[in-house]
Amino acid sequence: MHPRTPPTADASTAPGHRSLHRRDLLRRLTAAMVAVPLVLGAAACGDDEAKEPGGPVSIEFFWWGGEARAEMTQKALDLYTQKNPNVTIKPVWQAFDGYYDKLATISAGGNAPDVFQIDDNGLAEYASRNVTLDLTPYVKDNRIDLSKHAEGLTRYGQLDGKQVAIATGENTPAMIYDKTKLKELGVGEPQEGWSYEQLFDWASQVTAKGGGKYWGTMDTSSDYKALWLWLRAQGKEFYDGNKLAFTEADLAAWFRLWQGARAKNATPPADVVHEAVTGSVATQLVVTGKAATSFMWSNQLGELQKATKNELGMVAYPGDPKGQWARASLYWAGSRSTKHPEAVADLINFLVNDPEVAKIFGVDRGLPSNMDTRTSVAAGLTDPAMKTTVEFENALAPKFGPAPTPPPKGHSGLRNKLRDIAESVTYGRATPEDAAKQFFAEAQAALAG
Amino acid sequence: MALSTATKPRPDDPAPAGTPGRRTRAGRRRHRAEGVAGYVFLSPWLIGLMAITAFPMLFSLYLSFTNYDVLSSWELVEWVGLDNYRRMFGEDPAFWHAVTVTLTYALIAVPLKLAAALGVALLLNRERRGVGLFRSLFYLPSLLGGSVALALVWRAMFGGDGAFNSFLGLFGIQGRAWVNDPSWALETLMVLAIWQFGAPMVIFLAGLKQVPTELYEAASVDGAGRVRQFWNVTLPMLSPVIFFNLVLETINGFQGFTSAYVISNGTGGPVYSTLLYTLHIYDQGFGEFRMGYASALSWVFLLAIAVITVIFFSTGRFWVHYSDGDD
Repeated sequence: MHPRTPPTADASTAPGHRSLHRRDLLRRLTAAMVAVPLVLGAAACGDDEAKEPGGPVSIEFFWWGGEARAEMTQKALDLYTQKNPNVTIKPVWQAFDGYYDKLATISAGGNAPDVFQIDDNGLAEYASRNVTLDLTPYVKDNRIDLSKHAEGLTRYGQLDGKQVAIATGENTPAMIYDKTKLKELGVGEPQEGWSYEQLFDWASQVTAKGGGKYWGTMDTSSDYKALWLWLRAQGKEFYDGNKLAFTEADLAAWFRLWQGARAKNATPPADVVHEAVTGSVATQLVVTGKAATSFMWSNQLGELQKATKNELGMVAYPGDPKGQWARASLYWAGSRSTKHPEAVADLINFLVNDPEVAKIFGVDRGLPSNMDTRTSVAAGLTDPAMKTTVEFENALAPKFGPAPTPPPKGHSGLRNKLRDIAESVTYGRATPEDAAKQFFAEAQAALAG
Repeated sequence: MALSTATKPRPDDPAPAGTPGRRTRAGRRRHRAEGVAGYVFLSPWLIGLMAITAFPMLFSLYLSFTNYDVLSSWELVEWVGLDNYRRMFGEDPAFWHAVTVTLTYALIAVPLKLAAALGVALLLNRERRGVGLFRSLFYLPSLLGGSVALALVWRAMFGGDGAFNSFLGLFGIQGRAWVNDPSWALETLMVLAIWQFGAPMVIFLAGLKQVPTELYEAASVDGAGRVRQFWNVTLPMLSPVIFFNLVLETINGFQGFTSAYVISNGTGGPVYSTLLYTLHIYDQGFGEFRMGYASALSWVFLLAIAVITVIFFSTGRFWVHYSDGDD
């Protein structure tokens, strides 16, 4: 607006000064509005920290878990920064509920955390959309050393021939039961290799002796992993690539199986089952004291045990144990948008291979993938729940079936559909046949992406 | 823009529009300075509107015709035409669940909330000792708004072992697991919404104070009792306020999210019973990474709310009585 500012070319021909200046002003305003973000953006790019080794490196680190895991993780990260003083790590953690929501929102802006924890439920969602850093080159040149890792676990972190994540450890689904309560009721403990019918007979006994407000077993008909193991025990599969590998009849049979359990009073009423359906530790029925079993993961025994005074035990899910496989309990993944891919690789390598870290973690994130540290960790364990986890995994290992590929893109949605539709049977809103039909009608759309 | 501002007559403009040559220099300068100042003062809002509301909204309209999935890079975003809209009406049964649940929620909760607000406002309209305290107390719940904490409390209170069932137990009534029962979960959310009637109540109170007392005096001289006075004086005089609250609360009702999200753990369950439309949008966008589809859902939602609001406004002239109007 300064009068001396050289006017633009059309100034002399413009009819009125007033509109000219206005236009000029508007143009400037527009320019400023465009320029300011550009400049800020450039400044944001400007802090592209030095890439040469030894320069300051800052890494965002995102994971889920409880208090105990938080302590362990912080200790391990401190150890790393002590050894690598040029690296600063910004850890962010939270409980499992909402973790994937948050990961999705921050990744949406193209700012996925440099290193993050993920499991096979989310791996394909993120890896197939290229959010994750391709770790193959770092594995090839041994900066991430997988030579001592269980081969199945390494492969369980590969997608389309790329190493997209590194397994933190191994776990398997495990049925966790309340030893103290069973003793109190005078009922024996569930055994490995039971069929579901045997479990239900046993569970209705528990319900009968429980006196009204206690039930034999959690109803896990809505949980994909139970269905998956049940299918595998019969030599079938859940997924074939990005399609379903089982049939509508299989699913209807699965729902009918659980109808039988309800008829026998083996399971709690639907509203009680619903409390535990998200899989959160705090709401599990063995923790809240409403049922004798919960269907969880083998590495979660420690966490569950901390939440209840009763002594807990652990056994494989019902059915032939060949349905089980060495599953990567969790993975570490890097972000493709990271500015320090090499530091990311180095940190992941440290977390999965360093013997001291392994000692800190114990089996909280599963039995260590690195077989050397797995042996040393198992020998040095003091926590009884963690010891049980190790014994359980080791006893089951020889019976494992071959590992499937991790669930495909679209799995998260499909998993929720199974939950909702299975619950419509639990609540008596649909017959097993109708529910199975509905699931298959919707599954196609869910997996199509 | 420059043209329109140049030709528009201003009240303080000494010269008629279209004849700028007759203006004094000083007048022009002052005018220009005022215009600039106006824009400068407006700019925080204008920039905010453009960057935070208008641009993202229009962008989401574009996204609704694409397969944008939140995570993939932009190069992979493809134009899919009307696929997302087709999916909604053809391949997504949860969409219809969401529509039904949301309509039920709004149709029941909004009228009951307004009735509660009006009822309590009538009671609190009399000048008695301590009435101020009661006004504050009744207003309190709506201060908490759509808070997560409140929803958590609600979930605990109306769970199977919740305080509400213990209370019923005192009278020998066997409660149920309200929030975990597909027949009752949505009703629990409605009760929460109705309980927060404070905001419309305060507006009703203000409206009640505006009703001229001579109308009541005239009515009682004519022999109208309290009920008659309510129907023939209070309600018509209050109708603009009722209309205002109805429009606002309906829009609010449709946008309910927090309580459903928290109480159902983000699932909209049990068995879709609390799957409010907004929850479905969120789940599709961030849970299943179908942001294109979620955008389409949002635009259909926006249109639906707009249509309902238009209906309200067009029926308004039959029952809303503005005292300074033509009758």
